[in-house]
Amino acid sequence: MSQPTDVGPAPAADPRAERRSRRAVARSAGRERRVVGLIGLIALLVGAGTALLAFGVFGSGRAQRPLLDPILVDALRSQALISRIVALVVCVVLVVAGLVWAVRALAPERRPDLAVDAGPDTSVVVTSSAVAEAVAGQARTLPGISRARARMVGDEREPALRLTVWLAEDADVAEVCRRIPEEVLAAATDAFGGRVLPVAVRIEADTAEGPRVR
Amino acid sequence: MRVLVRILAPLLGLALAAVGVLGVVEIVTAWLQPGRGGDGLLVPWRAWQRALDTQLWATTPVKITGIVLGVVGLLLLIAALAARRHDVPLRPPAPHVTVTTSPQALARMVGRRVRAADAVSGASVTASRRAVSVRAEGWEGTVVPPSTDGPAETPTDTRADADTPGLADSVRADVESLLDDLPLAHRPRVAVSVRALGGPR
Repeated sequence: MSQPTDVGPAPAADPRAERRSRRAVARSAGRERRVVGLIGLIALLVGAGTALLAFGVFGSGRAQRPLLDPILVDALRSQALISRIVALVVCVVLVVAGLVWAVRALAPERRPDLAVDAGPDTSVVVTSSAVAEAVAGQARTLPGISRARARMVGDEREPALRLTVWLAEDADVAEVCRRIPEEVLAAATDAFGGRVLPVAVRIEADTAEGPRVR
Repeated sequence: MRVLVRILAPLLGLALAAVGVLGVVEIVTAWLQPGRGGDGLLVPWRAWQRALDTQLWATTPVKITGIVLGVVGLLLLIAALAARRHDVPLRPPAPHVTVTTSPQALARMVGRRVRAADAVSGASVTASRRAVSVRAEGWEGTVVPPSTDGPAETPTDTRADADTPGLADSVRADVESLLDDLPLAHRPRVAVSVRALGGPR
Protein backbone atom coordinates (compact mmCIF):
# COMPACT_ATOMS: atom_id res chain seq x y z
CA MET A 1 0.00 0.00 0.00
CA SER A 2 1.41 3.37 -0.90
CA GLN A 3 1.73 6.45 1.21
CA PRO A 4 -1.49 8.36 1.90
CA THR A 5 -2.34 11.23 -0.35
CA ASP A 6 -3.06 14.67 0.95
CA VAL A 7 -4.55 16.69 -1.83
CA GLY A 8 -6.12 20.09 -1.73
CA PRO A 9 -9.55 20.83 -3.11
CA ALA A 10 -9.40 21.14 -6.87
CA PRO A 11 -11.22 24.04 -8.45
CA ALA A 12 -13.96 23.10 -10.86
CA ALA A 13 -12.18 24.20 -14.02
CA ASP A 14 -8.60 23.47 -13.00
CA PRO A 15 -6.73 22.58 -16.22
CA ARG A 16 -4.40 20.36 -14.20
CA ALA A 17 -7.38 18.37 -12.96
CA GLU A 18 -8.58 17.98 -16.54
CA ARG A 19 -5.14 16.78 -17.62
CA ARG A 20 -4.96 14.35 -14.70
CA SER A 21 -8.40 12.96 -15.51
CA ARG A 22 -7.31 12.37 -19.12
CA ARG A 23 -4.17 10.60 -17.91
CA ALA A 24 -6.26 8.39 -15.64
CA VAL A 25 -8.17 6.85 -18.55
CA ALA A 26 -5.66 4.02 -18.84
CA ARG A 27 -2.17 3.19 -17.76
CA SER A 28 0.23 5.03 -20.02
CA ALA A 29 2.34 2.95 -22.36
CA GLY A 30 4.32 5.95 -23.53
CA ARG A 31 7.59 4.95 -21.90
CA GLU A 32 7.36 1.38 -23.19
CA ARG A 33 6.51 2.64 -26.67
CA ARG A 34 9.50 4.96 -26.64
CA VAL A 35 11.86 2.17 -25.55
CA VAL A 36 10.60 -0.30 -28.15
CA GLY A 37 10.49 2.40 -30.83
CA LEU A 38 14.03 3.59 -30.07
CA ILE A 39 15.48 0.08 -30.14
CA GLY A 40 13.51 -0.66 -33.31
CA LEU A 41 14.79 2.51 -34.98
CA ILE A 42 18.38 1.70 -34.07
CA ALA A 43 17.99 -1.88 -35.33
CA LEU A 44 16.40 -0.62 -38.54
CA LEU A 45 19.20 1.88 -39.21
CA VAL A 46 21.98 -0.60 -38.39
CA GLY A 47 20.35 -3.37 -40.41
CA ALA A 48 19.69 -1.12 -43.40
CA GLY A 49 23.25 0.26 -43.25
CA THR A 50 24.71 -3.23 -43.04
CA ALA A 51 22.62 -4.47 -45.97
CA LEU A 52 23.45 -1.43 -48.11
CA LEU A 53 27.14 -1.79 -47.37
CA ALA A 54 27.04 -5.55 -48.03
CA PHE A 55 25.28 -5.05 -51.37
CA GLY A 56 27.98 -2.60 -52.44
CA VAL A 57 25.93 0.59 -52.39
CA PHE A 58 28.84 2.39 -50.71
CA GLY A 59 31.33 0.94 -53.20
CA SER A 60 32.39 -2.56 -54.11
CA GLY A 61 35.83 -2.06 -52.56
CA ARG A 62 34.28 -1.28 -49.18
CA ALA A 63 32.08 -4.37 -49.41
CA GLN A 64 35.14 -6.58 -50.00
CA ARG A 65 36.79 -5.58 -46.73
CA PRO A 66 36.52 -7.81 -43.61
CA LEU A 67 33.85 -7.12 -41.03
CA LEU A 68 36.45 -6.42 -38.36
CA ASP A 69 38.33 -3.82 -40.33
CA PRO A 70 42.11 -3.81 -39.55
CA ILE A 71 42.12 0.00 -39.70
CA LEU A 72 39.50 0.13 -36.95
CA VAL A 73 41.30 -2.52 -34.87
CA ASP A 74 44.58 -0.64 -35.15
CA ALA A 75 42.91 2.61 -34.15
CA LEU A 76 41.39 0.98 -31.06
CA ARG A 77 44.68 -0.66 -30.10
CA SER A 78 46.56 2.61 -30.40
CA GLN A 79 44.13 4.18 -27.89
CA ALA A 80 43.60 1.13 -25.70
CA LEU A 81 42.95 2.97 -22.44
CA ILE A 82 40.44 5.42 -23.91
CA SER A 83 38.73 2.59 -25.84
CA ARG A 84 38.34 0.51 -22.69
CA ILE A 85 36.99 3.44 -20.68
CA VAL A 86 34.49 4.36 -23.40
CA ALA A 87 33.39 0.72 -23.73
CA LEU A 88 33.07 0.41 -19.96
CA VAL A 89 30.96 3.57 -19.72
CA VAL A 90 28.74 2.42 -22.59
CA CYS A 91 28.22 -0.98 -20.91
CA VAL A 92 27.41 0.60 -17.54
CA VAL A 93 24.90 2.90 -19.23
CA LEU A 94 23.34 -0.14 -20.92
CA VAL A 95 23.05 -1.96 -17.59
CA VAL A 96 21.48 0.99 -15.79
CA ALA A 97 19.14 1.99 -18.62
CA GLY A 98 18.08 -1.59 -19.29
CA LEU A 99 17.33 -2.31 -15.63
CA VAL A 100 15.46 0.97 -15.18
CA TRP A 101 13.34 0.29 -18.27
CA ALA A 102 12.60 -3.27 -17.18
CA VAL A 103 11.73 -2.34 -13.59
CA ARG A 104 9.48 0.52 -14.65
CA ALA A 105 7.73 -1.63 -17.24
CA LEU A 106 7.13 -4.44 -14.76
CA ALA A 107 6.11 -2.25 -11.81
CA PRO A 108 2.39 -2.42 -11.04
CA GLU A 109 0.31 0.70 -11.36
CA ARG A 110 0.15 2.68 -8.13
CA ARG A 111 -2.97 2.85 -6.00
CA PRO A 112 -2.51 5.83 -3.72
CA ASP A 113 -4.51 6.12 -0.53
CA LEU A 114 -6.49 9.27 0.12
CA ALA A 115 -5.86 11.44 3.18
CA VAL A 116 -8.94 13.31 4.24
CA ASP A 117 -8.50 16.68 5.91
CA ALA A 118 -9.96 16.16 9.40
CA GLY A 119 -8.33 18.97 11.29
CA PRO A 120 -4.83 19.87 12.50
CA ASP A 121 -4.52 17.07 15.06
CA THR A 122 -6.38 14.34 13.25
CA SER A 123 -5.33 12.22 10.33
CA VAL A 124 -7.91 10.23 8.42
CA VAL A 125 -6.68 8.01 5.63
CA VAL A 126 -9.07 6.29 3.27
CA THR A 127 -7.45 3.33 1.60
CA SER A 128 -7.52 3.11 -2.15
CA SER A 129 -9.57 -0.08 -2.04
CA ALA A 130 -12.18 1.61 0.20
CA VAL A 131 -12.47 4.52 -2.22
CA ALA A 132 -12.77 2.13 -5.14
CA GLU A 133 -15.39 -0.03 -3.47
CA ALA A 134 -17.46 2.95 -2.40
CA VAL A 135 -17.47 4.56 -5.84
CA ALA A 136 -18.06 1.30 -7.71
CA GLY A 137 -20.88 0.34 -5.36
CA GLN A 138 -22.54 3.71 -5.83
CA ALA A 139 -22.18 3.43 -9.60
CA ARG A 140 -23.82 0.02 -9.63
CA THR A 141 -26.98 1.53 -8.18
CA LEU A 142 -27.55 3.67 -11.27
CA PRO A 143 -30.09 2.30 -13.76
CA GLY A 144 -28.45 1.02 -16.92
CA ILE A 145 -25.18 0.04 -15.26
CA SER A 146 -24.81 -3.71 -14.95
CA ARG A 147 -21.26 -3.77 -13.59
CA ALA A 148 -18.82 -1.18 -12.26
CA ARG A 149 -15.20 -1.21 -11.18
CA ALA A 150 -13.15 1.64 -9.75
CA ARG A 151 -9.55 2.12 -8.69
CA MET A 152 -7.31 4.91 -7.55
CA VAL A 153 -4.50 5.76 -9.96
CA GLY A 154 -1.71 8.30 -10.19
CA ASP A 155 0.77 9.02 -7.47
CA GLU A 156 0.66 10.39 -3.95
CA ARG A 157 0.82 14.02 -5.06
CA GLU A 158 -1.61 13.77 -7.95
CA PRO A 159 -4.16 11.01 -7.40
CA ALA A 160 -7.09 10.35 -9.67
CA LEU A 161 -9.91 7.89 -9.95
CA ARG A 162 -10.60 5.47 -12.79
CA LEU A 163 -14.17 4.23 -13.04
CA THR A 164 -15.15 1.56 -15.55
CA VAL A 165 -18.85 0.89 -16.04
CA TRP A 166 -20.51 -1.78 -18.16
CA LEU A 167 -23.84 -0.69 -19.60
CA ALA A 168 -26.84 -2.94 -19.98
CA GLU A 169 -28.41 -3.29 -23.39
CA ASP A 170 -31.23 -0.83 -22.67
CA ALA A 171 -29.03 1.80 -21.01
CA ASP A 172 -29.25 5.46 -21.94
CA VAL A 173 -25.60 6.42 -22.34
CA ALA A 174 -26.19 10.16 -22.13
CA GLU A 175 -28.25 9.73 -18.97
CA VAL A 176 -25.57 7.56 -17.39
CA CYS A 177 -22.89 10.10 -18.28
CA ARG A 178 -24.98 12.86 -16.71
CA ARG A 179 -25.79 10.97 -13.53
CA ILE A 180 -22.30 9.65 -12.76
CA PRO A 181 -20.83 13.04 -11.76
CA GLU A 182 -24.10 14.22 -10.21
CA GLU A 183 -24.79 11.19 -8.06
CA VAL A 184 -21.80 8.86 -7.89
CA LEU A 185 -18.92 11.31 -7.83
CA ALA A 186 -20.78 13.94 -5.82
CA ALA A 187 -21.54 11.35 -3.14
CA ALA A 188 -17.91 10.27 -3.12
CA THR A 189 -16.76 13.87 -2.85
CA ASP A 190 -19.05 14.43 0.14
CA ALA A 191 -17.88 11.20 1.77
CA PHE A 192 -14.22 12.04 1.38
CA GLY A 193 -14.29 15.45 2.95
CA GLY A 194 -15.28 17.52 -0.05
CA ARG A 195 -12.16 16.74 -2.03
CA VAL A 196 -12.67 16.67 -5.78
CA LEU A 197 -10.67 13.97 -7.52
CA PRO A 198 -10.02 13.96 -11.27
CA VAL A 199 -12.00 11.08 -12.66
CA ALA A 200 -11.74 9.07 -15.85
CA VAL A 201 -14.90 7.16 -16.72
CA ARG A 202 -14.60 4.25 -19.11
CA ILE A 203 -17.85 3.05 -20.66
CA GLU A 204 -18.10 -0.50 -21.93
CA ALA A 205 -21.07 -2.34 -23.40
CA ASP A 206 -21.95 -5.45 -21.48
CA THR A 207 -21.40 -8.55 -23.56
CA ALA A 208 -24.65 -10.22 -22.55
CA GLU A 209 -26.42 -10.22 -25.90
CA GLY A 210 -30.10 -10.74 -26.43
CA PRO A 211 -31.53 -13.54 -28.56
CA ARG A 212 -30.30 -13.42 -32.16
CA VAL A 213 -33.48 -15.07 -33.46
CA ARG A 214 -36.70 -13.15 -33.27
CA MET B 1 -0.48 -4.20 -29.93
CA ARG B 2 -0.20 -2.45 -26.56
CA VAL B 3 0.08 -5.84 -24.87
CA LEU B 4 2.91 -6.80 -27.22
CA VAL B 5 4.75 -3.56 -26.48
CA ARG B 6 4.23 -4.02 -22.74
CA ILE B 7 5.76 -7.50 -23.00
CA LEU B 8 8.59 -6.43 -25.30
CA ALA B 9 9.71 -3.40 -23.29
CA PRO B 10 10.91 -5.25 -20.16
CA LEU B 11 12.38 -8.07 -22.27
CA LEU B 12 14.39 -5.61 -24.37
CA GLY B 13 15.44 -3.76 -21.23
CA LEU B 14 16.66 -6.97 -19.62
CA ALA B 15 18.46 -7.95 -22.83
CA LEU B 16 20.27 -4.61 -22.93
CA ALA B 17 21.18 -4.95 -19.27
CA ALA B 18 22.52 -8.46 -19.89
CA VAL B 19 24.68 -7.23 -22.76
CA GLY B 20 25.96 -4.44 -20.54
CA VAL B 21 26.81 -6.85 -17.71
CA LEU B 22 28.68 -9.10 -20.12
CA GLY B 23 30.59 -6.12 -21.44
CA VAL B 24 31.52 -4.86 -17.99
CA VAL B 25 32.67 -8.33 -16.87
CA GLU B 26 34.76 -8.88 -19.98
CA ILE B 27 36.34 -5.42 -20.00
CA VAL B 28 37.25 -5.58 -16.33
CA THR B 29 38.59 -9.12 -16.76
CA ALA B 30 40.73 -8.08 -19.71
CA TRP B 31 41.98 -5.12 -17.73
CA LEU B 32 42.86 -7.06 -14.60
CA GLN B 33 44.14 -10.22 -16.31
CA PRO B 34 45.98 -9.17 -19.47
CA GLY B 35 47.65 -12.58 -19.58
CA ARG B 36 44.50 -14.36 -20.78
CA GLY B 37 45.62 -13.76 -24.35
CA GLY B 38 42.41 -12.14 -25.52
CA ASP B 39 40.06 -14.87 -24.38
CA GLY B 40 37.25 -13.58 -22.24
CA LEU B 41 35.80 -14.95 -19.05
CA LEU B 42 32.34 -15.71 -20.52
CA VAL B 43 32.65 -14.79 -24.20
CA PRO B 44 35.14 -16.41 -26.62
CA TRP B 45 36.37 -13.11 -28.02
CA ARG B 46 39.38 -14.71 -29.75
CA ALA B 47 37.23 -17.09 -31.80
CA TRP B 48 34.80 -14.27 -32.63
CA GLN B 49 37.67 -12.05 -33.76
CA ARG B 50 39.02 -14.76 -36.06
CA ALA B 51 35.60 -15.23 -37.63
CA LEU B 52 35.05 -11.52 -38.14
CA ASP B 53 38.57 -11.12 -39.57
CA THR B 54 37.84 -13.59 -42.35
CA GLN B 55 34.22 -12.63 -43.02
CA LEU B 56 33.76 -10.01 -45.74
CA TRP B 57 30.92 -7.49 -45.84
CA ALA B 58 29.77 -8.75 -49.23
CA THR B 59 29.15 -12.33 -48.05
CA THR B 60 25.65 -13.78 -47.94
CA PRO B 61 25.44 -14.27 -44.14
CA VAL B 62 26.17 -10.58 -43.61
CA LYS B 63 23.54 -9.57 -46.17
CA ILE B 64 20.96 -11.85 -44.56
CA THR B 65 21.85 -10.60 -41.07
CA GLY B 66 21.48 -6.98 -42.19
CA ILE B 67 18.11 -7.62 -43.81
CA VAL B 68 16.80 -9.59 -40.83
CA LEU B 69 17.97 -6.93 -38.40
CA GLY B 70 16.34 -4.20 -40.50
CA VAL B 71 13.05 -6.10 -40.72
CA VAL B 72 13.01 -6.78 -36.98
CA GLY B 73 13.72 -3.09 -36.32
CA LEU B 74 10.91 -2.06 -38.67
CA LEU B 75 8.48 -4.43 -36.95
CA LEU B 76 9.44 -3.05 -33.54
CA LEU B 77 8.98 0.49 -34.82
CA ILE B 78 5.56 -0.35 -36.27
CA ALA B 79 4.54 -2.05 -33.02
CA ALA B 80 5.57 1.01 -31.02
CA LEU B 81 3.72 3.40 -33.33
CA ALA B 82 0.58 1.24 -33.47
CA ALA B 83 0.37 0.80 -29.70
CA ARG B 84 -1.39 4.10 -29.11
CA ARG B 85 -4.78 4.20 -27.46
CA HIS B 86 -7.82 4.02 -29.71
CA ASP B 87 -10.35 5.39 -27.23
CA VAL B 88 -13.50 7.08 -28.42
CA PRO B 89 -13.92 10.27 -26.37
CA LEU B 90 -17.30 11.37 -25.10
CA ARG B 91 -18.29 14.88 -24.07
CA PRO B 92 -17.12 15.42 -20.47
CA PRO B 93 -20.05 15.99 -18.13
CA ALA B 94 -17.87 17.97 -15.70
CA PRO B 95 -14.51 19.75 -16.02
CA HIS B 96 -12.60 17.23 -13.93
CA VAL B 97 -14.22 14.19 -15.55
CA THR B 98 -13.05 12.49 -18.74
CA VAL B 99 -15.38 9.98 -20.36
CA THR B 100 -14.28 7.53 -23.01
CA THR B 101 -15.50 4.32 -24.51
CA SER B 102 -13.81 1.69 -26.59
CA PRO B 103 -14.31 1.18 -30.33
CA GLN B 104 -15.55 -2.32 -29.50
CA ALA B 105 -18.20 -0.94 -27.13
CA LEU B 106 -19.32 1.63 -29.69
CA ALA B 107 -19.53 -1.08 -32.35
CA ARG B 108 -21.53 -3.28 -29.99
CA MET B 109 -24.02 -0.46 -29.30
CA VAL B 110 -24.42 0.24 -33.01
CA GLY B 111 -24.80 -3.45 -33.76
CA ARG B 112 -27.55 -3.84 -31.18
CA ARG B 113 -29.47 -0.90 -32.61
CA VAL B 114 -29.12 -2.11 -36.20
CA ARG B 115 -30.10 -5.71 -35.41
CA ALA B 116 -33.16 -4.53 -33.52
CA ALA B 117 -34.80 -3.56 -36.84
CA ASP B 118 -37.25 -6.10 -38.24
CA ALA B 119 -35.80 -5.88 -41.73
CA VAL B 120 -32.26 -6.75 -40.60
CA SER B 121 -31.31 -10.39 -40.21
CA GLY B 122 -27.69 -9.78 -39.25
CA ALA B 123 -25.03 -7.11 -39.11
CA SER B 124 -21.35 -6.69 -38.42
CA VAL B 125 -19.96 -3.37 -37.26
CA THR B 126 -16.51 -1.87 -36.97
CA ALA B 127 -16.06 1.45 -35.23
CA SER B 128 -13.41 3.99 -34.38
CA ARG B 129 -13.49 7.58 -33.21
CA ARG B 130 -13.62 8.70 -36.85
CA ALA B 131 -15.80 6.18 -38.63
CA VAL B 132 -18.50 3.60 -38.10
CA SER B 133 -18.84 0.95 -40.75
CA VAL B 134 -21.90 -1.30 -40.87
CA ARG B 135 -22.38 -4.36 -43.06
CA ALA B 136 -25.95 -5.53 -42.77
CA GLU B 137 -28.08 -8.10 -44.48
CA GLY B 138 -31.83 -8.15 -44.54
CA TRP B 139 -34.92 -7.60 -46.61
CA GLU B 140 -35.79 -4.58 -48.69
CA GLY B 141 -39.27 -3.08 -48.51
CA THR B 142 -41.96 -2.98 -45.87
CA VAL B 143 -43.52 -5.73 -43.85
CA VAL B 144 -47.20 -6.26 -44.50
CA PRO B 145 -49.00 -8.19 -41.77
CA PRO B 146 -50.78 -11.29 -42.96
CA SER B 147 -54.43 -10.69 -43.76
CA THR B 148 -57.04 -12.87 -42.19
CA ASP B 149 -58.33 -14.08 -45.56
CA GLY B 150 -54.94 -14.37 -47.24
CA PRO B 151 -53.10 -17.55 -48.12
CA ALA B 152 -52.14 -19.47 -45.03
CA GLU B 153 -48.69 -20.52 -46.29
CA THR B 154 -47.20 -16.96 -46.31
CA PRO B 155 -47.16 -15.55 -42.80
CA THR B 156 -45.83 -12.15 -43.91
CA ASP B 157 -45.45 -10.38 -47.19
CA THR B 158 -42.60 -8.08 -48.22
CA ARG B 159 -43.60 -5.24 -50.49
CA ALA B 160 -41.19 -2.86 -52.13
CA ASP B 161 -42.56 0.66 -52.31
CA ALA B 162 -41.12 3.74 -54.01
CA ASP B 163 -41.89 5.88 -50.95
CA THR B 164 -40.38 3.39 -48.48
CA PRO B 165 -36.73 3.89 -47.56
CA GLY B 166 -34.49 1.05 -48.65
CA LEU B 167 -32.59 -1.20 -46.29
CA ALA B 168 -29.43 0.89 -46.51
CA ASP B 169 -31.30 4.10 -45.72
CA SER B 170 -33.12 2.43 -42.87
CA VAL B 171 -29.89 1.10 -41.35
CA ARG B 172 -28.17 4.44 -41.79
CA ALA B 173 -31.07 6.21 -40.09
CA ASP B 174 -30.83 3.81 -37.14
CA VAL B 175 -27.10 4.42 -36.79
CA GLU B 176 -27.47 8.19 -37.10
CA SER B 177 -30.23 8.12 -34.51
CA LEU B 178 -27.99 6.22 -32.09
CA LEU B 179 -25.11 8.63 -32.70
CA ASP B 180 -27.50 11.49 -31.98
CA ASP B 181 -28.27 9.90 -28.63
CA LEU B 182 -24.63 9.27 -27.69
CA PRO B 183 -22.69 12.24 -26.28
CA LEU B 184 -19.73 11.65 -28.57
CA ALA B 185 -17.06 14.37 -28.62
CA HIS B 186 -16.53 13.86 -32.37
CA ARG B 187 -19.23 12.46 -34.58
CA PRO B 188 -17.86 9.61 -36.70
CA ARG B 189 -18.62 9.13 -40.36
CA VAL B 190 -21.13 6.42 -41.10
CA ALA B 191 -20.66 3.93 -43.92
CA VAL B 192 -23.36 1.36 -44.61
CA SER B 193 -23.29 -1.55 -46.98
CA VAL B 194 -26.20 -3.96 -47.24
CA ARG B 195 -26.90 -7.31 -48.78
CA ALA B 196 -30.54 -7.80 -49.66
CA LEU B 197 -31.98 -11.21 -48.97
CA GLY B 198 -34.62 -12.81 -51.12
CA GLY B 199 -37.41 -15.08 -50.01
CA PRO B 200 -39.69 -14.86 -47.02
CA ARG B 201 -38.59 -13.42 -43.70
